[in-house]
Amino acid sequence: MHAAVVLRLVPDIADDLEISESGNDIDREWVGMKLNEFDDHALEEAVLLKERAGASVTAVALDGDGVDKLLQSAIARGADRVVKITYDELPPLPAAAAVAAILADAIQALGADVVLTGVQTPEDAGGQLAAALGARLGWPHLSAVAGVQPAPDGLIVRQEHSGGYATRVHAAGPVVLGVQSASQPPRYVSGSKLRQAIGVKPEKRAGGEAFAGPVAMVRRLAKPASGGGAAMWKGDADAVADQFVALLRERGLLKG
Amino acid sequence: MPMPSPLAVLALIAVAVLVAGYRARVLIAAIARAPAAHRWDQPWQRLGFVAREVGLHRRLLQIRLSGSFHLMIFCGFVVLFSAIVADFGAGLFPGFSLHAIGGDTWIALLQDVFALVLLAAIGLAIWHRFVIRPARFAGSRTTDATLIYLFVIAIVLSMLTEAASGIAAGNVAGGWRPVSGALAAALTGAGLGADGAAALHAGATWVHMLAILGFLAYIPGSKHRHMFTAIPNIFFRPLTPRGVLPAPPEARGQVGISKIEQFTWKDVLDTASCTECGRCQAACPAFAAGQPLSPKKLIMDLRDRIMADAADSAGPLLGGTISEQTLWACITCGACMTVCPLHIEHVPKIVDMRRQLVEEARVGPGLQDAFANMQRTGNSMGKPARQRARWTKDVGFKVKDARKEPVDILWFVGDYASFDPRAQRITIAFAKLLHAAGVDFGILSDAEQNSGNDIRRAGEEGLFQTLARSNMDALSECTFQRIVTTDPHSLNALRQEYPALGGAHAPVLHHTDLLLELIEAGALKLKPGSGATVTYHDPCYLGRYNGGFGAPRALIERAGYRLHEMPRNRENSFCCGAGGGRIWGDDTGVTERPSENRIKEALALGDATLFVVACPKDMVMYTAAIEALDVRGKLAVRDIVDLLELAEA
Repeated sequence: MHAAVVLRLVPDIADDLEISESGNDIDREWVGMKLNEFDDHALEEAVLLKERAGASVTAVALDGDGVDKLLQSAIARGADRVVKITYDELPPLPAAAAVAAILADAIQALGADVVLTGVQTPEDAGGQLAAALGARLGWPHLSAVAGVQPAPDGLIVRQEHSGGYATRVHAAGPVVLGVQSASQPPRYVSGSKLRQAIGVKPEKRAGGEAFAGPVAMVRRLAKPASGGGAAMWKGDADAVADQFVALLRERGLLKG
Repeated sequence: MPMPSPLAVLALIAVAVLVAGYRARVLIAAIARAPAAHRWDQPWQRLGFVAREVGLHRRLLQIRLSGSFHLMIFCGFVVLFSAIVADFGAGLFPGFSLHAIGGDTWIALLQDVFALVLLAAIGLAIWHRFVIRPARFAGSRTTDATLIYLFVIAIVLSMLTEAASGIAAGNVAGGWRPVSGALAAALTGAGLGADGAAALHAGATWVHMLAILGFLAYIPGSKHRHMFTAIPNIFFRPLTPRGVLPAPPEARGQVGISKIEQFTWKDVLDTASCTECGRCQAACPAFAAGQPLSPKKLIMDLRDRIMADAADSAGPLLGGTISEQTLWACITCGACMTVCPLHIEHVPKIVDMRRQLVEEARVGPGLQDAFANMQRTGNSMGKPARQRARWTKDVGFKVKDARKEPVDILWFVGDYASFDPRAQRITIAFAKLLHAAGVDFGILSDAEQNSGNDIRRAGEEGLFQTLARSNMDALSECTFQRIVTTDPHSLNALRQEYPALGGAHAPVLHHTDLLLELIEAGALKLKPGSGATVTYHDPCYLGRYNGGFGAPRALIERAGYRLHEMPRNRENSFCCGAGGGRIWGDDTGVTERPSENRIKEALALGDATLFVVACPKDMVMYTAAIEALDVRGKLAVRDIVDLLELAEA
């Protein structure tokens, strides 16, 4: 089994975000980038497949700032091989279909038979990449994946749904998985392993032709407006705490 | 019964030595094949220290009673060694005696007197162990201790009987042996004739020799090994500064320790030297908090694993012999190492095993978050680096960026002092004091990262190296004369750890040092304080690890307050529970938080209204402890900076 994991750098939304002048993107000048959390789980699940079933794991990412470091950390996590995919041009906030077009050929050329990636990102909130990759590769795709078990003739994929329901799907052939959570939390990678991986130089491969079809575009971004139902508490921690306690008391949740 | 013949004595000695050697073989082999530790430097200094430490019983006498009877037993053994030499000498070479150097005069007198001293000391020891029963003995092997008492009693009584019956038989001069003489008179008075006395003399000589040889054969499996290992163990103690944690040796080929045979020969010697006295256990805040860590038990468990000599069948070292919870419970405060009379090094062993757990990602969620945050943002809270200097907005003047202009004093602020609102208040107050004193200072702003002190102690060596290099690079690009920090953990890293990594040797001051200097130079003029009674908590990494005991106390006095010390102060301070990465752990299994234990100690003083600290983490820990104990009306936490009110200009 050869698992390809698609990793994406996304803006760190713990930072204060500003909307750019164009109004359809965030101001990327000062924002920090980090590995998409769901991709982190996808990588963990791939490494678990390696440990449980001897799969080889290749981490793949679109070329760009900080990608070498990202891929090096994937090596430290247990990926066997890391590849960055070059491309001619992409907008700052590219549609999933455009990204899939660039990635699919390279993934096929790598000889992967299962692709794992995060179910969504803050920038691909609809979770389209896994679906678009499946379409491009001509493979089935499954999203909301919450764990993969190796089976004698393929994979048993666990999908999680709302209301506490889950399904187990038997995937017999090549498949693209949109991973929501790994079977166990992503493992910690020690500083010494990261330091060792600094020497690794990711392979470079050219991506496929740009996607020519229609794609979804972001038209406008806006900060959430504060609604009427919420009261905003202002002041320092003590003042806010006092108001909080007063509210709890008022609602009868606090005695004394 | 005839006196032992030379051949019989020789045979007995050979048997005892063979048995002792056989029983010691595992230990000797373990030491012989253990990896290297470099402890032969400065031999004269080491020897001098051993002489002082053993001769003065400095650490042992910190507990008055047990220290005293240990000293009595120690002196007794030294004196009685002469009786052993005389007995075995005469046994092997008929006619041998110590007569020429005073064997029948002053040595005889000493032997007689110290026989009583030894018996008295053993009596005290028995009373201490079985009647007083100090809690620190919990987990120690009572049978072993009891057997040792019996051996010593047998050796001393047989020696006295031998001398007394010798006097009664006319073989031994009695003039310098008041005790044996009295005993001889009693024996004669009870009707013992010359023949009987001679037979008793021979019998007692046999018993004496057998007791000594039996003891010798017994020692290798007993805590009494320390008779032979204590002096070498103290001799080979580390001479590096306390605040420098040993880096993983390259020859080990891995960052941490996962197998018992990866411990160095000095580690093996440490375990073989432990006397199970439990002083470390009594001083350990983690043990007091009900955590599954006793430094004593840890050393005993490692020792038993080494002695079992069954590495393959004994299961894993980590998570087997030593549980993961035990390793994560340590706050690296160093109290155990400060009180250990044998100078055993507990903390480096714990950190070495933690290093392996980190490599294998066997890390709790809180610690993992802190590590991951630090990898990403350079601080444990995961705050954007750009927010590190946000507190400077509230000081009312511009704080210099030391990367952009030269400064006299570079202030390394630290994570808690930069980000935590409870500690930020002190950061701002200190900045104002520096400004008022006209100090030319600046900060590294977002180029500063966590110093890595606690990261290293939590076992994340690689991340420590990354953080340290980053800070050292940032510092090397600035021009300054000295470094100051309010954070003892940063102080330890910058003063002790970075130079050991090849960093520059700029003087690193704690803010209490700098403030005292400014007051003494007249740059800061203080309003007289209220005269209230306060107590002061020594932070581990300022006090025990860096000897910073004086400046905080001098400042309290200068500020016009009366200091009432807690019973556990200075070297014996009791950690707040935040060190060594514990601040990122959870409180599972904690029966009493160390910080609350400490607050109760301060409350018991009766008259202290302020609990003065000199560490941002202490501010956080003790504020929470006072809230948890609901004693806000009785005691308030203050940093020393809070006590310093400027006089009106």
